[in-house]
Amino acid sequence: MYHPFVLPFVVGFSVMGVVLVARYIYWLRGMSPGNRQRVLWGFFSRSTLLAVKEILQESLLHLKIFRVNPLLGFMHASLAFGWFMLIVGGKLETWYYTGNFFNPPYYAIFFRYFEPLTEGFWMNGVLLFYMELSLLIVLSGLSIAVVKRIRKKVVGMNNTTRHNPANRIALFFLWMVFPLRLMAESATVAVHGGGSFLTTVTSSLFLSHDWAVWLELPLWWAYSTGLGLFFLALPFSRYLHIPTEMVMLLLKKWGVQPEPGFNPEKGVQAFEVHSCPGCGVCLDVCPAMGAGINSFQSAYFVRQVRAGHNYETIADMCLNCGACKEACPVGISLESLRLDARSHLHRKANFDHRYLHGTMTLWRDTTEVVLYTGCMGRINPKTTQAVKSLLHEAGVKFIHLDEHESICCGRPMALAGAAEQAKMLIQRNRELIHGQNGQLLVTTCPICYRYFSSEYDLNIPVLHHSQFLWQLIETQKLNRHKGNLRYAYHDPCELGRGANCYDEPRNLLYTVGELVALSSERNKALCCGNNIGSLTLAEEQKQKITANTLTVLSENSPDYIVTACPMCKNTLSRQSTLPVRDLAEVMLECKEVNVAGSRTRKKQASVNVTP
Amino acid sequence: MINFGYTASESRHIDMDERLHPAIEKMLHREPSLKECIACGRCAAVCTAGYFTGMQFYRLNLMAHRGLINEMKQAARACMLCGKCQMTCPKGVNIRHGVLLMSQITDVLDV
Ligand code: SF4
Ligand code: SF4
Ligand code: SF4
Ligand code: SF4
Repeated sequence: MYHPFVLPFVVGFSVMGVVLVARYIYWLRGMSPGNRQRVLWGFFSRSTLLAVKEILQESLLHLKIFRVNPLLGFMHASLAFGWFMLIVGGKLETWYYTGNFFNPPYYAIFFRYFEPLTEGFWMNGVLLFYMELSLLIVLSGLSIAVVKRIRKKVVGMNNTTRHNPANRIALFFLWMVFPLRLMAESATVAVHGGGSFLTTVTSSLFLSHDWAVWLELPLWWAYSTGLGLFFLALPFSRYLHIPTEMVMLLLKKWGVQPEPGFNPEKGVQAFEVHSCPGCGVCLDVCPAMGAGINSFQSAYFVRQVRAGHNYETIADMCLNCGACKEACPVGISLESLRLDARSHLHRKANFDHRYLHGTMTLWRDTTEVVLYTGCMGRINPKTTQAVKSLLHEAGVKFIHLDEHESICCGRPMALAGAAEQAKMLIQRNRELIHGQNGQLLVTTCPICYRYFSSEYDLNIPVLHHSQFLWQLIETQKLNRHKGNLRYAYHDPCELGRGANCYDEPRNLLYTVGELVALSSERNKALCCGNNIGSLTLAEEQKQKITANTLTVLSENSPDYIVTACPMCKNTLSRQSTLPVRDLAEVMLECKEVNVAGSRTRKKQASVNVTP
Repeated sequence: MINFGYTASESRHIDMDERLHPAIEKMLHREPSLKECIACGRCAAVCTAGYFTGMQFYRLNLMAHRGLINEMKQAARACMLCGKCQMTCPKGVNIRHGVLLMSQITDVLDV
């Protein structure tokens, strides 16, 4: 069975196959030896089966997008899964009809043209019905996609990705393909009869039999050409994500690790960068979007990285709040990608901290807690004081490590893409911490907390002060009564999404008062706008983001806005009409509203506090 | 020139009409907020590195405007990029980005 109109499809499909295989082999070869080993080991393991399940769930059914936004999820799922159903159905149809499992791919795709009348046996009717149902599913997804381009609000999105020309061409052909298939099949049905519920209706569009005879072949040509051109454009457009996403899921399941350096055309990073479909889920969650800044979001960043140019300003501007990484349905490691890009950009940055001399550790008494308040703690003495008073009150023995001399934890350098050069800071801080002979390190800064836990390899555990204070409450070393003040809690990016600490701060606030619900909180919380993640955002832009975040925090008119990061606190309090407090300050202040019993305790405590 | 009733030593003048060093021009182009600095000194007062080395950011900025590129670059190397300065700056200067550029000026901004 053959007709020249299949040629455009065959050519497009073959070119795509060759380009894809070549690119994948090149990327795989660029992987680190360790990762190549993992791929080899993983290949014949159970993880492959698990990955297949995930491919079904994420690449075809798009369950994650569905959870975020049902209509958008339906759009992606019906396009991808409907298409998948068509491919499977085509295979079954040709297999059933010819009795051979292997047939040329074009035979299945243009089956209706070659075999217009397959009636006679009930199985044919079922297959025909199934194929037309699949096509209808794809078309319904497609119509949502078209509407989404025109009116994005319909699918509940505030923003859709702006696309560049290569992507628009591919998009155009993708949109053309399925309506053309429907038209071509309808024409064939109009000429020869047959067809199921869909084409019997649409074939009546062709006013007469003559029209249909005249149009049938041109329509099949058009369908084949559209399909061929789409496949031709696929490896060079964002639709490369369709096959790459599946490979990516396999690689993830095989346990490949992020590779050092910035190599968007090599190894794991290449697979990650090319598996982004530009779905735009990262746009709506970005705190800058609400402030009208729509240039640097991850969808654009990844696209520019893929294009290999103009990603520089984008990489430096983002706040690194992590909201997009949390929401990304493909699970791209956006943060490390961005920081790798920054290190590449600022690879010539040259810092030297050898002026920090090593300290001699004299013998010290053991102490329970080593308190580290960090750089930001120093410009927030009230929080530091509050934590200290609370520790006194609970009778905890502690040493304030950086009361006089403080060395930055090094995370800000990492955020600027100079992680390599933070080594000296880490080394000196580690010496200092180990030298205190403490049992526990408590820090009031989420940025330090995250870096201490991930990069320091300390010999004692680390806690953020909110976690430690909650421990004190739980063990009843600190006692508080529930008051009637209402608090809105702002999740700091580095503590919430960064360190997965959402509950302890909330538990503390529940203990002393009421917590108001917010429209974006926990892992959807908005950034305060002035974290050190962004290198280049201008002051007015940051202020707009802060204002936007404050609107959310004030929505249920709380008495206080509470946070657990000195930087968030400073930033929010500059623009807030409501009072902004650190958790520790709230815990200290609310002794005032306590019942008589605890007042006496407070008096005793305050005696202890005075040095 | 308007007479304000006091004199200043010539060697300390920063003539704003004079053309800046091309590398500095580029740096200011990439971080325009550096032009906003009023040399109030807050950044120096809180500087983490300054505690150990006497680093003062606003001086680096003045060096830049005076064309003292090497001195500026050398002094920038002490910074820990902690961002404390930025939190206190009344003019919203992106100091961390500024220092990052200063520390690599001859290379990235190819002089
Ligand atoms: S980065 Fe993730 S969320 Fe953003 S467009 Fe790509 S896949 Fe979607
Ligand atoms: S990390 Fe935050 S600021 Fe940056 S692009 Fe993602 S959501 Fe936007
Ligand atoms: S705090 Fe800001 S305005 Fe003041 S001297 Fe430093 S950079 Fe300049
Ligand atoms: S970022 Fe650099 S200049 Fe600013 S306070 Fe920290 S160490 Fe000083």
